[in-house]
Amino acid sequence: MNRKDFGLLILILVVGTVVAIINPRFLSPVNLSNTANLIGLFGIFALGQAFVIISGGIELSVGSIIALLGVIFVDLVSLGTVNWSVAFAVVLALGCLIGLVHGLLITRARLQPFVVTLCGLLIYRGVARYYTDDATAGFPFGASFPTLEWLVAGRFYGIPHSLIAFLIITIIMAVVLHRSVFGRYLFAVGKNEEAARYSGIHTTRIITAAYVICCGLTAVAAVFIAMYTRSISPSSHGNFYELYAIAAAVLGGCSLRGGEGSIIGVVLGTVLLQVLQNLVNLLGIPSSLNFAVMGSVILLGVLADQQFYRTRKSVARAAG
Amino acid sequence: MAATPTPIIGGMPQSFLALTGISKLYPGVTALDGVSLRVSPGEVIGLVGENGAGKSTLMKILGGVIEPTGGEIEIDGDRVDRLSVNGSMRAGIAFVHQELNLFDNLTAAANIFIGREPLRGGPLRLIDTEALNRQAKPLLDQLGADFEPDTKVADLSLAQMQLVEIAKALSLKARLVIMDEPTSSLTVTETNRLLAVIGRLKAEQVAVIFISHRLGEVKQTADRVAVLRDGKLVAELARGEIETGTMIRHMIGRDLKTLYRPPAAPPGSAILELADVRTTYRPGQGVSFSVRAGEILGLAGLVGSGRTELARAVFGLEPKLGGEIRIDGRKVALRSPREAIRQGVYLVPEDRKRSGLILPFRISHNISLASLKSLSRHGIVDRAAERREAEAQKKNLDIRCLDTTAEAGSLSGGNQQKVVLAKWLSMQPRVLIFDEPTRGIDVGAKNEIYRLMRELSDRGVGILMISSDMEEVIGVSDRIAVMHEGAIAGFLDRGQFTEENVLSLAVGRAAIREAAE
Amino acid sequence: MKLRLATCALMITAAFAATDANAQDKKALAFVVNGASDFWKLAEAGVKKAQEELPNYDLQFKYPEQAAAAVQQRLMDDLVAAGVSAVMVSAVDPKSSTDALNKVGAQVPLFTTDSDAPDTNRIAYIGSSNTDAGKQAGEIALKALPDGGKCIGFVGLPGADNARERIEGMKSVIAGSKVELVDVRGDDIDMTRAKRNVEDALAANPDIDCMVGFYSYNPPRIYEVLKESGKLGEITIVAFDEDPITLGGVKEGTIAATVVQQPYEWGYQGMKLMAKYLEGDKSVVPDDKLVIVPTKIIDKANVDAFEAELKARIGG
Repeated sequence: MNRKDFGLLILILVVGTVVAIINPRFLSPVNLSNTANLIGLFGIFALGQAFVIISGGIELSVGSIIALLGVIFVDLVSLGTVNWSVAFAVVLALGCLIGLVHGLLITRARLQPFVVTLCGLLIYRGVARYYTDDATAGFPFGASFPTLEWLVAGRFYGIPHSLIAFLIITIIMAVVLHRSVFGRYLFAVGKNEEAARYSGIHTTRIITAAYVICCGLTAVAAVFIAMYTRSISPSSHGNFYELYAIAAAVLGGCSLRGGEGSIIGVVLGTVLLQVLQNLVNLLGIPSSLNFAVMGSVILLGVLADQQFYRTRKSVARAAG
Repeated sequence: MAATPTPIIGGMPQSFLALTGISKLYPGVTALDGVSLRVSPGEVIGLVGENGAGKSTLMKILGGVIEPTGGEIEIDGDRVDRLSVNGSMRAGIAFVHQELNLFDNLTAAANIFIGREPLRGGPLRLIDTEALNRQAKPLLDQLGADFEPDTKVADLSLAQMQLVEIAKALSLKARLVIMDEPTSSLTVTETNRLLAVIGRLKAEQVAVIFISHRLGEVKQTADRVAVLRDGKLVAELARGEIETGTMIRHMIGRDLKTLYRPPAAPPGSAILELADVRTTYRPGQGVSFSVRAGEILGLAGLVGSGRTELARAVFGLEPKLGGEIRIDGRKVALRSPREAIRQGVYLVPEDRKRSGLILPFRISHNISLASLKSLSRHGIVDRAAERREAEAQKKNLDIRCLDTTAEAGSLSGGNQQKVVLAKWLSMQPRVLIFDEPTRGIDVGAKNEIYRLMRELSDRGVGILMISSDMEEVIGVSDRIAVMHEGAIAGFLDRGQFTEENVLSLAVGRAAIREAAE
Repeated sequence: MKLRLATCALMITAAFAATDANAQDKKALAFVVNGASDFWKLAEAGVKKAQEELPNYDLQFKYPEQAAAAVQQRLMDDLVAAGVSAVMVSAVDPKSSTDALNKVGAQVPLFTTDSDAPDTNRIAYIGSSNTDAGKQAGEIALKALPDGGKCIGFVGLPGADNARERIEGMKSVIAGSKVELVDVRGDDIDMTRAKRNVEDALAANPDIDCMVGFYSYNPPRIYEVLKESGKLGEITIVAFDEDPITLGGVKEGTIAATVVQQPYEWGYQGMKLMAKYLEGDKSVVPDDKLVIVPTKIIDKANVDAFEAELKARIGG
């Protein structure tokens, strides 16, 4: 755990302590379990976003992908024509395909990531709405899919399965990012693409893979979120979720210039964002201030980090 | 700024600029050593000297970019204690750089008046485009420009862009225009037109310092030639004394230290062979040569002669338009650095901070970057093996750092270059291409790099060394190929190594071509 | 080349002339909604029913491609330009669109539905009274909680007119009783937040007696959270609208009752009213210019009949 991550952990503990003092129910098992569930839901796609940001890009279509894949999944499952596991495989494959297309447009057609994924944001939202004819996709009353529901919405001794899934994915992604050859190449490409190419790294493939991972994880999250809300109105489902992901990644120390970031940081960033949402409800702060609270804390966190960094640098310079 | 009338003292125009005993010392290096030079209005001074002779240091001092460690600068007879960038500009000194400093998304007129645009009245501070073009027109006409002031710079040729730079200098009431290799990328016609422009500047009482490797052009335009060598002004030639042979003789008279380490064994068979390889740089010119096992082949030539482009093409960074490349007699495509690396062809690039290293990465991670796959199992990096390899290379190359976990950016230039080398040495090199291997590196580290190059060649590696440093080319190579305008002008064997031979091959063709015109 | 271009132009002009001619055969009436949702499918069914009875009119049902005032405005302008005879609209943002709505109203008779814009030159409003609907919700709560209790509300946009009127309506009925609405949480129409709001409310107030879902998707979220936490039946749920989950809960007895609007009637009655108005019968518009289609309480007793009707309408 590096200094940045440690600072974030401190911030979470401070915020958590303050909330717990004002409203002790913050620490009640039910509340912790609920918050953990949401951390799982939002964390899975935030991890994906981190890969893209480390590669030096950005993925803006996350929310729309969650809506599109969500309606497809709910539709496939509620129609009952295919088994839910097949539906899951289809959705996962679609997610990876979307990522592949983004990656190829960025590396082969040399379009800017912002432009490609902004177009994706518009396209997938539109397709999702067309797919259901703008109707809400949901399960009929009393519909039950015991295995699926147990898997994605169940709890194990109060620990939501979404959090367990998130933790498993976190461990895998931490190994991929921090221990694997691919992860090292990803940092290299994000930091200095030219030097990476001069070292024989297949930079286009690495960047494309980052988008495939991002959209693949987003597909997994889409299934979890769909099973959480159990009902998806394609025009609003997942709106702005890409911003939650980007905020978590940036809070967690990813630089939008690429080449920097850690998995633990993204996890902590997600935790902080969800704790903030939780405290708005628990402390009875008007719901309308939700985003304002979130924005302010992110700004303060990033600002404090920057100040701290600068002070340390000038101290180091004075000493040297 | 009002134009100052030129005072006439005793029939001679007073010096506009006078440098007396200018020196610039860097730790361990004397870049300039007591240089004195006077520039009078309307005078064209040719400044010649080899790479590293001190020309650019002198120009940086005139531009106010660096401060001399000794000597005096006088402008219009007044002593200037510290010449800043702004002060230099205010004194009327303007530069036309090799890399032009223009905004190519703006028009020629907008570039000329950048920061001083004529405005329409009113609070919005709108630019009066008509006035802008109107004011730019006479400046460009004066230089014989064949384009309109509202042409976008991106649509201009290099020669036309130079005219824009010169027009900008004129609009700033420049009294001295310094041109750094202005003709290196121009065609013959464009060159002649530029020389005519210099004549016009002269007529306007604007002084010109003309820095060029093309001695024929210097001879054609200069009223006086100053020759720099090893930071000293070794000769000032008056109009009648300017001869190509004389200039070369003064340029090369320096004593080269003997750097040469003879190879352990005579060179083996050819490893890398180029047969009529054509690059996008000068598609009409094919290049053929071979690098033998155990040999250091120096590739000399002027800046802009196409050496770097050739190296990039061999390493798969640029497309090859024709010809073939063989490694150990087998034809190879080398379409990307990955393919080149797979064939054992590695490049130590010119700009190591941009292309050679990832500066914020650890030293160990930089060393393992190309060989990571062999240091991993099932896609997971074996960190112990990686650390062992980094430590081994640190010891092998004597990389001076506390720890291989430090950032590569924290190292000195010489040690950074060793890290780049370590990256390739942890694999199996067949051919190593060095592009300016010791640029910006101190003398001690230079020698270590040379020693490593010889060790590698003795192990049977073929080495191709691109260098603009004459001392290096002559001191390190077993054989020299000299490039000129995209083609090989000639080969020299160790016995023929003289600065004169290298230089005449490097500039020679230009002189021949000029004679033919 | 030039000849071909001219031919093309001629053909296009001809095509336009033809559609114009068609449109002029019948008077067109347009029903413009504020965005896509299931709710409007019912109104569309009502419009279809009215079409059967109004063969001399061409009834159009229009969705703006985005729930934005500007998009809706452009859609209406296009319709007016295409020659529709009257427009009924559920304005996206009635308060700030007065001028824009007046512009439409100046050219063709304009009616409002769903959300009224009383400051404009609209002929009449046809729809529910959200205040009345809120009052009905209050009555449900009073009946279900005879000993009183604490309620918490959930809504998409707490500041929106429809939400405010429903909340105020409910408060006016429960005022003075032991039933009390302690808080209303907003979710910006994000279902994930809607569900988490219920979870957090439950965590923060374990002793809550009653939950009210003011927007159609809120009751299902309440239902799911209570089901997952095993509190279904312990906490009273008061609902609005007819989401299938809501109706299921009513049938099951776990949701006390739901207050439904009758968009089908808006579409059906609204279209017929517009036709009559165009035919010159101004008496169809009451003095207060409000044609209220009352909201209904659906509880265990009438839920089956209601559902059957719903199915018939959407199916048909």
